[in-house]
Amino acid sequence: MNENSILLKMQDISKSFPGVLANDHVTIECEKGHVLGLLGENGAGKTTLMNILYGLYQPDQGKIFVDGKQVVINSPSEAINHGIGMVHQHFKLVDTLSVIENVILGIPTNKAVLDFGPAKKKLEKLCKEYELFVDPEEIVWRLPVGKQQWVEILKALYRDCKVLVLDEPTAVLTPSESDQLCRAIRKITEQGRSVVFISHKLREVIEITDKVTVIRDGKVIGTVNTKEATQSILAEMMVGRPVTIERKARPIIKEHSAVLVMKNVNAFDDRGVQALKDFNLTVHAGEIVGVAGVDGNGQRELSECIAGLRKPSSGSITIQDKQVTNVIADPSFVGFIPEDRQKTGLVLDFTVAENLLIKDYKEKPYVKNGFLQYSEIKKHAEHMIKKYNIKSPSGDIKVKTLSGGNQQKVVIARELDAQPVLDVASHPTRGLDLGAVSNVHDILLNERNRGAAVLFISAELQEVIALSDRIIVLYSGQIMGELDGETADQFTIGQMMLGQTTEAKK
Amino acid sequence: MTYEIILDWLQASLRWSAPLIICAMGEIFAERSGIINMGIEGIMLCGALCGVAVSYYAQSQAVALFACAILGLVLGLIVAFLTVSRRTNQVVTGLMINLLAIGATNVIFSVLTVMRHKRATTFGALFPESMHRIPLVGPVLFAQPFTTWIAIFIAFIASFVLYKTRWGLNVRAVGDNPQATATAGLSVIKLKYQTLILSSIAASVAGGILTLASSGYFAAGGMTGGRGFIVLAAVVVGGWDPMRTMFACMLFGATDAAQLRLQTTESIIPTQFLQMLPYVITVVALTIMVKRSRVPKTWGAAYDGRRS
Amino acid sequence: MRTKEKIIKVPFIGDLIYSSGHTIVGILLGIFTGGLLIAISGVNPFLAYASMFRGAFNSLQSFSNVLVRSSPLLLGGIGVAIGIKSGVWNTGIEGYMYIGAIGATIVAIPELGLPPIIHILLCFIVAMLFAGLWGAIPGYLRAYKGVNEVTATIMLSYVAIYFTNWIVSGSPLAQEGAYFPMSLPFAKSSLLSILMKGTSLHPGPFIGLLMCIIFHIILKYTPFGFRTRMLGHNPFAAQYAGINSKKQIVITMVIGAMLGGLGGAIEVLGLKHRLYMEFVTGVGYESVAVALVAGGEPIGVMLSALFFSILKVGGATMSIETGVSSSMASIIIALCVLFVIGVGVADSKRLKKRDEKDPGKKTLSFKMEEAVK
Repeated sequence: MNENSILLKMQDISKSFPGVLANDHVTIECEKGHVLGLLGENGAGKTTLMNILYGLYQPDQGKIFVDGKQVVINSPSEAINHGIGMVHQHFKLVDTLSVIENVILGIPTNKAVLDFGPAKKKLEKLCKEYELFVDPEEIVWRLPVGKQQWVEILKALYRDCKVLVLDEPTAVLTPSESDQLCRAIRKITEQGRSVVFISHKLREVIEITDKVTVIRDGKVIGTVNTKEATQSILAEMMVGRPVTIERKARPIIKEHSAVLVMKNVNAFDDRGVQALKDFNLTVHAGEIVGVAGVDGNGQRELSECIAGLRKPSSGSITIQDKQVTNVIADPSFVGFIPEDRQKTGLVLDFTVAENLLIKDYKEKPYVKNGFLQYSEIKKHAEHMIKKYNIKSPSGDIKVKTLSGGNQQKVVIARELDAQPVLDVASHPTRGLDLGAVSNVHDILLNERNRGAAVLFISAELQEVIALSDRIIVLYSGQIMGELDGETADQFTIGQMMLGQTTEAKK
Repeated sequence: MTYEIILDWLQASLRWSAPLIICAMGEIFAERSGIINMGIEGIMLCGALCGVAVSYYAQSQAVALFACAILGLVLGLIVAFLTVSRRTNQVVTGLMINLLAIGATNVIFSVLTVMRHKRATTFGALFPESMHRIPLVGPVLFAQPFTTWIAIFIAFIASFVLYKTRWGLNVRAVGDNPQATATAGLSVIKLKYQTLILSSIAASVAGGILTLASSGYFAAGGMTGGRGFIVLAAVVVGGWDPMRTMFACMLFGATDAAQLRLQTTESIIPTQFLQMLPYVITVVALTIMVKRSRVPKTWGAAYDGRRS
Repeated sequence: MRTKEKIIKVPFIGDLIYSSGHTIVGILLGIFTGGLLIAISGVNPFLAYASMFRGAFNSLQSFSNVLVRSSPLLLGGIGVAIGIKSGVWNTGIEGYMYIGAIGATIVAIPELGLPPIIHILLCFIVAMLFAGLWGAIPGYLRAYKGVNEVTATIMLSYVAIYFTNWIVSGSPLAQEGAYFPMSLPFAKSSLLSILMKGTSLHPGPFIGLLMCIIFHIILKYTPFGFRTRMLGHNPFAAQYAGINSKKQIVITMVIGAMLGGLGGAIEVLGLKHRLYMEFVTGVGYESVAVALVAGGEPIGVMLSALFFSILKVGGATMSIETGVSSSMASIIIALCVLFVIGVGVADSKRLKKRDEKDPGKKTLSFKMEEAVK
C-alpha cells in the first residue's frame, strides 16, 4: 500500500462501433499490488475496454501506460510482451490439446522442436505457488470448467504478466472454487502484480478488490475505494437507480395437477458423459419451479430432454400424461425458451414476422392451398409486436437488427402466446439489461398465475429465489435438495450447489 | 505369370501412391489449420503440365520439380488470399480453382504443340539395377523411382513436424480454436497462409511427380482424373494423421493400379467398373470412417479476426 | 476531398441492389482479367471479345445456340441453388446428368409406339427417377451418416461417368462397331422437337427457365420453401422448431439430383439423340458457378446461366476467329466466380456486422460514400 506507483493506466479511451459508442473517454488506473474492480452491467463496455488493452481492438482515441511508460498495443502478442495477461470470459483454450501444450502455445523460442521438460517443471512450480493444481498432461476438454479457469490463469502467470485481467471469472465457479480463486488473487498481488477484476456481481467485487471503477453505457461513473463502498451504493452507480430483486407477490393457485412428470431419467451430454442421473421431478400447474445450480450440471440436458431435442437413455418424461418422444413443435402444449436464443431460438436472417412463426408456419391461416399467406403472417406479426411491446417498426425487418431484449421478446411471444400448459425457460434473462430482466420475470409470473406449469432454469441465485415457488438445486445431474421459495436463503442453496447436502431441507 | 502380375501390381501400387502421399501430407496441414484446400485437384493438374513442360525444355527433372514448387507457391497464395483474407467459401473457391486449372492447362497445352507427341524423361530408380533382381522385394521396392522413397520419407517428416515441433503445435491449435490461438499471441492469418501455401506446393509437386514418375506424358483435360479428390478422401479416412493417411493413400494407389492392370488382361468384369472402384471404395470408406475420425473443429469455416 | 456519408433508405430492394452490385463488379473484374490473359497470349482482347459477342448474338441461329447451351446450366444451376438454400453443397450435378441421361436412354431407344409427348414425358420421368435415386445416396450419407456431401457427390460423379462409359461401349445399349463409343439411336417419338428451323433450338432452355420460376415460387411462398430456407440459415433453430432436418436434407438433395437428371435427359433427347461418353463434361463445375453468381436465388440463376452460355458459345467462335483456345471461356467463368465471391463475401460480412452492431437502425439502409469536394 505504501508504494503508490500506478502499474496500469488507460487514459481517455474512446471506441465506437458503427452506431454504438462502446467506450466514451474512459480512464482507469490500477496500482501496483492492487486489485481493481471493473463493475458494470452486460454491455456497459467493460469487455470492449479490456479487448483494447489486449490489442484485439484499436481505440479511436486515448493512451495506455504500463509501468509509467506509454505503450501502443496492436496485437495480443504485443500485450503479452508488455506484461498483460488476460483470462477471457469465454476461455481461449484449445480443447483438444493438453494443459502444457496450451500453456506454451505461442511463447516465442528459438527451438523449433517441442521440449516439454522445463516447461512442465515451471508449470508445476506455479501450481504449487498459487495452489491452483492441474495435471499438465491432461487434455483440456476433460477438465471441469473450474480447472480450465486455473489453466487460463497459469497460462498468464507462466508468461510472467504484470497485470492480470480476469473477465467474469466466477461465473463458472462453485463457491469453494471462488474462494480458491480469491486466495490465488491475493498471492498474485502480494508479488507486486496487479489484477483487474471484471464482474457484475457486487458481493465478490466488494470482497476481493481494493478499488472499484463503475462503468455504465460506456462511461466511467466513478471510482471508489472498496472499503468505503457498500453493495447498494455500487448497485446504484451501476444501474443509475437503486435496485434490489425482491420476491414477487403472488396469488395462491388452487388447482395443482401434475403437468410435467419425470421418472428415473438418465441422459448423456454431447461428449457422452452422463448428465442426468436417475432424475425425478414433478412440476404442477400454477407453480414456478426454479432450477438453481452452477452452469453445466445438467441444466441444458434437462431442458433439452423435456423439449424432445435430446433423447434420454432411460426413464420416462410425460407432459399431461403424454409421453415425450420427439421434438415438441406445438406451442399450445409446451413453450420452450432455449438458453441460447441466437443459436437455437431464432433464425437471425429471417424477419421478425417469420421468426414468430417458425413453429406455426404450416398452420392455418398462414397457409392456404399450399401457399404461405404473407398478409396473414404480417398481421400476426403486428399483433404480436403490439402485444409483447417488441421494439420493432414492423414485422418485415430482420430479427438480427433487434437488441437482445427485443430478440428475447420475439422468442417469448412465439413460445408463450398460445398459452402452453408447460413453460420451460432456460436462462431467459441471460445477457439482458435490468429492465428487460424484470419484464421477463413479470411474464413468467403471469404464466404461473394463469395456471401454467413453469420450469425456470437460471444460474442467478437471486432471481431464482425471487421468482420460484419451489426451488430444486442441481448438482452433477442430480437434485441435491429442494427448498420452498418463500423460505429459501442464498447460503443454503449455495451449499447445495457445491454438492453438500444439508439438513435444512424444506 | 500371376506371380509376375502381382509383383508388377505391387510395384505400381507404391508408385501410384507416391504423388497421393505427397499431396496428402500438405493437405493434412491445411485441414488441421481449419481450411479445406479443395483446389488441390486443379493445382495438381497445373503441376502435372508444369512438370512435363519444364522437364522437356530444361531437360532436368530437378528444375522441373522446382518450377512446380514455385507454381504451387503462387497458386497457394491466390487460394490463401481468397479463403483466408477474403473469407470466401472454401468449397467454391476450390472448385473454381479446379475449373480455372482445367481451362488454363488446356489453353497452355494447346500452345505447346511440340510436346504432344514427345515424352519427358522419367525418374530413375534410387537403388542400383543389381538390387532389382532380388526376389519379391527387388522389383516391388528397389525398382521404385526415387520419388516413392521421397514420398514415404515426407510422410514421416510430416508426422514429426505435426506432433513434435512448435509450428506443428500451432497448426493443431489454430484449426481447433483460432480465437485461442490468436489470444496466445500467434497470427492465425499467417499460419493459415503458411499451411495453404504448403499444401499447394505439395499438390503441385505431386502433380509433377504424377507424370514424371510414370508415363512422362501430359493428357489435357482429365490427367489427374479426380486424384485430388481421392487425396481429400484419404486425409479424412486417415483421420488427419500423417501415418494413417499414408496407408490410406497406398490403399487408393493399389486400387488405381489394379484397375490399370486388369484393363489389359482379358477380364470378365468391364474395365469401367474397375475404374469406378477407387471412388466407390472412397465413399464406402468415408461412410465407415467418418464416425471415428476426429474432425478439426473449425474445418471449412472462415476465420473472422474481428470477432474475438 | 472529404467523404461524406449519405444514408439512402431503400426499404426492400436495397439489399438486392447492394449484393448485385458486387456481382457486377466481380463479373467485370473477371472479364477484365480474362482480357489480360488473352492479351498475354498475343491476341487483341477487344477483338477477341468482339468475336465472342458476335458468336453469341450474330444471328438467330447463334442466339439459339446460346439458349441451347444454357439448358443444362439452368437446370444444373437451380439444382445446386436449392442445395445452397438448405445449406448443403450438392456438387454432383454432372453425375446426376449422366445417370438421368442413362435412364432416359433406356426408355428412349425402343419404339414403344407411344405418342411423342407421352414418350418424352416417360423419358423425363425415368431420368428424374434414376437421378433422384442416385442423389439419395449422398443425401442419405450426409444426413444420417455425416459424410461430407462435397466429397461424396464428386466421388459419385466419377462413378457415374465410368458407368456411362460402360453403357455406351460394353452394354447391350451400345452401338456396335461405332467409330466412337455411343448408344443405339433413340426412337423418333422420344426426340424433342426443334422449335426453329435451321437451328438446334429445343424446348430445354424454356423448361429450365420455367423451373427457375417454379422454384422461386416454391422457395418463397410455400411451407416447404420456408423449411428449406430455415434449415439453410440456422439448422439448430430448424431442429428446435420441429423440422426433421435429416429428411429435409435428403429431399433437397434428391430434388437437386432430379433437376440435374432432367437436364441430362434434355441434352440427349434434344441435342445428341444418342447417349455419348462425357457429353456434359465440365457442366458440374459450371452449375456450381451459375448457382453461386446467382447467390442461390432461382431468378438469378436465369441470368447467370444465360451469361455463362454466352461466354461458352461465344468462346467457340472466338477460338475459330482469333485462335484463342475455347477453354478461355472456362477460365473467364472461373475468374468471374472467384472475383464475385472475393469481392462479395467480406463486404456482405461487413454489412452484417454493421447490422449487428447497429441495433438502433430500424430500416434496411445502407450507406454510400459520396465524395464531396
